[in-house]
Amino acid sequence: MRASLPALIFFGLAAVVPLITHDGFLLDSLILILLWGAVSGAWNVAGGYAGQVSLGHSAFFGLGAYSAALMATRWSLSPWLGLLVGAGLATVAGLVIGYLSNRLKGPYFGLATIAFSQVLLILASRWRAVTSGSEGIPVPFRPGFASLGFQSKVPWVYLILALAVGVYLVARYLETSRPGYQLAGVREDEDAAEALGIPCRRLKVAAVAASAAITSVCGGLWAQYVGFVDPFYVFSVDLSIRFALMSIIGGIGTAIGPFVGSVLITSLETYLRATFSDFAAGLIGIYLIIYGCLLIVVVRFVPQGLVGWMGERVRAMGRYARA
Amino acid sequence: MLELDAVTKRFGGLTAVKDVSLRAAPGEILGIIGPNGAGKTTLFNVISGFYAPNSGTVKLDGRDIGGMAPHLVCALGLTRTFQLVKPFGNLSVLDNVMIGALTRVRAVSAAREAARQVIATCRLEPFATNRARSLPIGLRKRLEVARALATRPRLLLLDEVMSGLNPTELVEMIEILRRLHADGIGLIVIEHIMAAMMRLAQRIVVLHHGEKIAEGRPEEISRDPRVVDAYLGEEFVLADA
Amino acid sequence: MGAVPQLVVSTVLLGGIYALISVGLTLIFGIMRVVNFAHGEFLMLGMYLAFWSFTLWHLDPYVVLLVAAPLFFLIGLLTYALVMRGVVKASHNVQIFTTVGLSIVLQNAALVAWTGDFRFVRPWHSAVVLRLGDAAFNLSQVVAFVVAVLFTAALVAFMRWTRAGRIMRATAQDVEAATLMGIDTDRVYRLAWSIGLVCVGIAGVLMSPLYSVYPTAGLQFVLLAYVVVVLGGLGDMVGALLGSLIVAGVEVAGSYYLGSAWKEVIYFLLFIAVLVFRPAGLFGQRGAETLGA
Repeated sequence: MRASLPALIFFGLAAVVPLITHDGFLLDSLILILLWGAVSGAWNVAGGYAGQVSLGHSAFFGLGAYSAALMATRWSLSPWLGLLVGAGLATVAGLVIGYLSNRLKGPYFGLATIAFSQVLLILASRWRAVTSGSEGIPVPFRPGFASLGFQSKVPWVYLILALAVGVYLVARYLETSRPGYQLAGVREDEDAAEALGIPCRRLKVAAVAASAAITSVCGGLWAQYVGFVDPFYVFSVDLSIRFALMSIIGGIGTAIGPFVGSVLITSLETYLRATFSDFAAGLIGIYLIIYGCLLIVVVRFVPQGLVGWMGERVRAMGRYARA
Repeated sequence: MLELDAVTKRFGGLTAVKDVSLRAAPGEILGIIGPNGAGKTTLFNVISGFYAPNSGTVKLDGRDIGGMAPHLVCALGLTRTFQLVKPFGNLSVLDNVMIGALTRVRAVSAAREAARQVIATCRLEPFATNRARSLPIGLRKRLEVARALATRPRLLLLDEVMSGLNPTELVEMIEILRRLHADGIGLIVIEHIMAAMMRLAQRIVVLHHGEKIAEGRPEEISRDPRVVDAYLGEEFVLADA
Repeated sequence: MGAVPQLVVSTVLLGGIYALISVGLTLIFGIMRVVNFAHGEFLMLGMYLAFWSFTLWHLDPYVVLLVAAPLFFLIGLLTYALVMRGVVKASHNVQIFTTVGLSIVLQNAALVAWTGDFRFVRPWHSAVVLRLGDAAFNLSQVVAFVVAVLFTAALVAFMRWTRAGRIMRATAQDVEAATLMGIDTDRVYRLAWSIGLVCVGIAGVLMSPLYSVYPTAGLQFVLLAYVVVVLGGLGDMVGALLGSLIVAGVEVAGSYYLGSAWKEVIYFLLFIAVLVFRPAGLFGQRGAETLGA
């Protein structure tokens, strides 16, 4: 399984950055770019590769975040365990959503996933006994690798980089393996795929469940990094849409696309937030307006996203060169 | 090999297939003809598992497959094509066929090799790297056959693979089907192009309003008054082949 | 037993408003077969229209209604031309993300222009309490209900008895046949979209005295509207009315017996359950299979 050149450059650069600078802001941006890229990449497993567009992936992210936070606060257990538990819960939730994906198509599936994430939001924000209700959970900082407490941001960079590379490799696996090709068939035309001997329902459920599990791991790590879990953020529809947005703009059917999308969206956001913290709310709104318009345009006219589009330009140039 | 016994399929108040029984022996070419709306494609859908029959049985090698999921039916050796072809549009011709091959061959590289062979058999080599949706209808039909062939079926259900083809493509398609027959693959062919059907099929079943109204060799069918009435319009004279 | 009359009255009044939101949605869905994820944002715009008219010019929301209808019709024409044209025939992804994108744009435009502060429209009638036996309700609710019912009735009449309405229903039933008959389906979609927005815009204006106004106010109502529409049968207007009553009833009763927290859980779960088990809705006859088309 070869990694593409752009991916090598991207991840290579990311690995090198902490060696060059120790600037907190830059490292924080890098971590967030990689993290959101990874989540979007996880979303892409279901949305891009399996063709099941979920608008409720924050459900899995939130499950992961809460699992990690609760493990650490209530039971004083290692958040690594929380990641495992979160992944387990998310897998179960993913199986349920996967079942729904076999009953509902396209936009209806999207609606159902939104409803599902909102149910979890309500549960998390009201079930005070378990989740401390709407105030959210502050995640305690305990130094040490086992409790994911790092004094500097540098270990976080490499940890999240490992996560991102892992997600990237999962996507590459889907591009080159037997289940991946079969999934492509399911995505392109389910009836035809079924007639060719592909177990469509099973594959879709597996893809959604895998996507859910990975998303929740990202959520758990995010909770540890950021230090606070707010149910209204972590289960929000906004967040779900962002996961999809990054993949669509970057390139929904590609492995590196979600990361490219994340670079665009996350970096601009963190820059604006830092520079204009006073009236940041207004400015962040503006760039979201731009991204909303971009989403509308990209999904209709450049459905292969930035990465897909660039790939085609490169191939076209190659053809000219040979001619 | 394939045995249908009194198969009936209803949709609400409409009976699309009524009490149809037929047999297809291993390796034979069976034709199914009938006017539009006669229930031919519905029959294929029932046989291949896309619909479950309301009554009656469908048996493959003696095993009841009625209502079995289509992908399992394919695994047992029965593959069908679609009347309105369904290529994997954004994928290359090679990938399309390879996905079919992956049902039988687990390793991707071996599947790719197998796909290349099928592509050669179906004379699609010049187009192997083209995107499926860029193909004209004639080649799409051939791709549909190739992809199904890659699943190594013992029985292939072909739904109007010849409609929309120009005369050259028609000759090539008949060639391909003859080769499949020579390789021992059973074919059940729904077709409207009578000349081709008469040349190809060893036996023909005629459906009308969901019922089987005639069955027999092509010469018998073309003279059968019920068939002429329902479908052929006038006696179809089989020109000297 | 004493609470029941109050619950019934509240249900009916609330149901009327939900009906207005949902009728617009079911029209758009029924004719265009597109899930409009931005429906709630147009509701929000209606609320803001009422707020600014009230704050800047002291116009009562009910006066604003007269302006709102043509205004939202124009907004409908504009958004259709810019964004929605051609979406009907496009892929699922395009359908989903075009209206999702629109929703993002509208929400954030409101946020940028008017900040996220909660706003309130409190005309004189929002404080007037009426009594009917054991039940109490305020005047704003009643007027909202009456206008909603009248408007919905007018819409149903339009769809059933006018030529334009018949053309729209024909297009919804069979697009190809409609095209073959010379119907310009693009115009039909544009009309359905615009009328749908008028309904939800008016609903926003009517609801402004009853709820707080903020950029993301639309979200809770759009999900609710989808519950109504799915319950009533996608595209079925009378079904939408009945569905509104059911959802309003669940909300009112749930709120009373279980507390407002859990009522939302109930109707979300109801929503998922209906989608999965009775996609044709409780009243609709449209084939569930069309959900996938």
